[in-house]
Amino acid sequence: MSKHLVCRVADVPENGLKECEVEGGLKLVVANAGGEFYGFQSQCPHQDVPLCEGLFDGSTLTCHMHLWQWDVRTGAPLGLAEAPLERYPLVREGDALYLGGEATALDVGELFNGLPPRLLEKLGGSAKREGHPAGAVLYRPGDPAEDFFVLDSGRVEFLVGRGERTAPGGFMLKKGEVFGWAALLDGYPARIASARCLEASSLLRINGKSALRVLESDPAAGFAVMRRLAGLIARYLASSGAR
Amino acid sequence: MRVQLNARNRGYAFEAKAGEHVLYAGLRAGIDLPYECATGTCGTCKAKLVSGRVRDGWPGAPGKKFVKPQANEFLMCQCAAEGPLTLEVSKFVYEMEPGACVPQTCAGTVRNPRPLTHDVIGFALELERPRDFDAGQFMLLAPAGVSGYRGYSMCNFARGGRRLEFVVKRKPDGGFSQWLFGANRDGARLDSFGPLGKATFDPALGKNLLCIAGGSGIAGMMSILARAAAAHYFDRHKGWLFFGIRSMRDAFFLKELSAYAAEITVALSEQDVPEAAKRDWPTLRFEQGLVHDVARRSMAGRYRDVRAYVAGPPPAVDAAIRVLLLEAKLTTDNIRYDKYS
Repeated sequence: MSKHLVCRVADVPENGLKECEVEGGLKLVVANAGGEFYGFQSQCPHQDVPLCEGLFDGSTLTCHMHLWQWDVRTGAPLGLAEAPLERYPLVREGDALYLGGEATALDVGELFNGLPPRLLEKLGGSAKREGHPAGAVLYRPGDPAEDFFVLDSGRVEFLVGRGERTAPGGFMLKKGEVFGWAALLDGYPARIASARCLEASSLLRINGKSALRVLESDPAAGFAVMRRLAGLIARYLASSGAR
Repeated sequence: MRVQLNARNRGYAFEAKAGEHVLYAGLRAGIDLPYECATGTCGTCKAKLVSGRVRDGWPGAPGKKFVKPQANEFLMCQCAAEGPLTLEVSKFVYEMEPGACVPQTCAGTVRNPRPLTHDVIGFALELERPRDFDAGQFMLLAPAGVSGYRGYSMCNFARGGRRLEFVVKRKPDGGFSQWLFGANRDGARLDSFGPLGKATFDPALGKNLLCIAGGSGIAGMMSILARAAAAHYFDRHKGWLFFGIRSMRDAFFLKELSAYAAEITVALSEQDVPEAAKRDWPTLRFEQGLVHDVARRSMAGRYRDVRAYVAGPPPAVDAAIRVLLLEAKLTTDNIRYDKYS
């Protein structure tokens, strides 16, 4: 693979940001966090505002438009932000920064992002990559809920209810979004909604029980994942709360 | 007309009247759709048309720069359904909380319009029906039968009241402002929609209150101060208000501000502080400088347990937010802002 130059180290001011365009047209923002460099998507995942115009204090980036915030080291959303930043690993060679490949769907996703690499590898090892055409149904109400899914690309919509009485139940469109969580819960052996690909989609399918075994092997990380899962479920099912 | 709105977390169905803009129809139904200005500027309410047709009430809206027409995106605040619609909003959308002041349309009458300065008019809107709102909220106003709402913050606070107080600054391109300044409008009829806005204050907050207002951004702060004072809030919590104007000839509400048990500072950006100002208003502080700079100088080291409210022209709001985030280190949930664009 040819190396893609992102920018020179000196181009990014200390505790500052710079928008860079890589050969091939990919745009990203590079943050200099006390001499460590992090690359991530150039536009706010909220409303296409250039993130290089954001406020950066050396670790937290704030989009000036609606005050969404992220930890630039992990891309994790903070405060009001509803979505993580997609990161682009950077490799430093001398005074230059190169693109170090693309983060995997597991690593950018809100459930597993920032886990110890060892654990991510184990989870990734048990994942089956699947491609589905537009219109493919992944599961229906009542189907066994043994696996959960991580979206890599494409788009999946949910319908709740059966037959004539179905209603839209939301949709997934961001790389790393997780659905079919029932597979990670006790006492929910069957699907309660149907999931259908609205576009040709690429997914990681992971068996819930084997993922739980991996998480049990590192209880601290497993606990963090379960806390995030609880937060995710609340966000989908609960009201806006004190937002 | 039936509107089916699919959000990231679930779908909603609601009815829109003929000609009614989609955003207002959804809000009226108690669905907390995304918006900020609700008048075509900020782009926050953009949605994607999946099926059906919409009529765009303002093709030249500034907020159009945030939408991609080739992706069938449109601004919900400017477009009306021309039949059944299905649309998609790429955000989490929830129902409004129980007890929220659900926005409604309501007609009313202009009362007591009066000049407050050379370019600011104050007036009351007497509504046909009582209307609850939260301190810091705004209403959309338009002369009866004229399309194109503008948003104005209420200056007063009352539960179950029919009288809303407003201030309006003269703007060369402001439709409503030109109408109001164009003649004596006492008794004129207005259409309104609201209340709107999330930069609200409730005494249950229990934090020290920092208000930074540029020019007519003082309106919402007056409502917040009125709400706080009625609850004796400043017996238990500190309050600071910074009111930025160019010079003393732009000053208004100084008498009202003098009555509050909060520390009130008037920042003059284009004039040295006149001795007469200090003499005439002994309970107010006066400082020379831009309002965010004056606030930064005065507030250094006093940000503990603070909730900040910021309102005014976008550059003033952005400058204040920068201070609050980077210097005061407030968390974003403790910064509520309202950009008057």
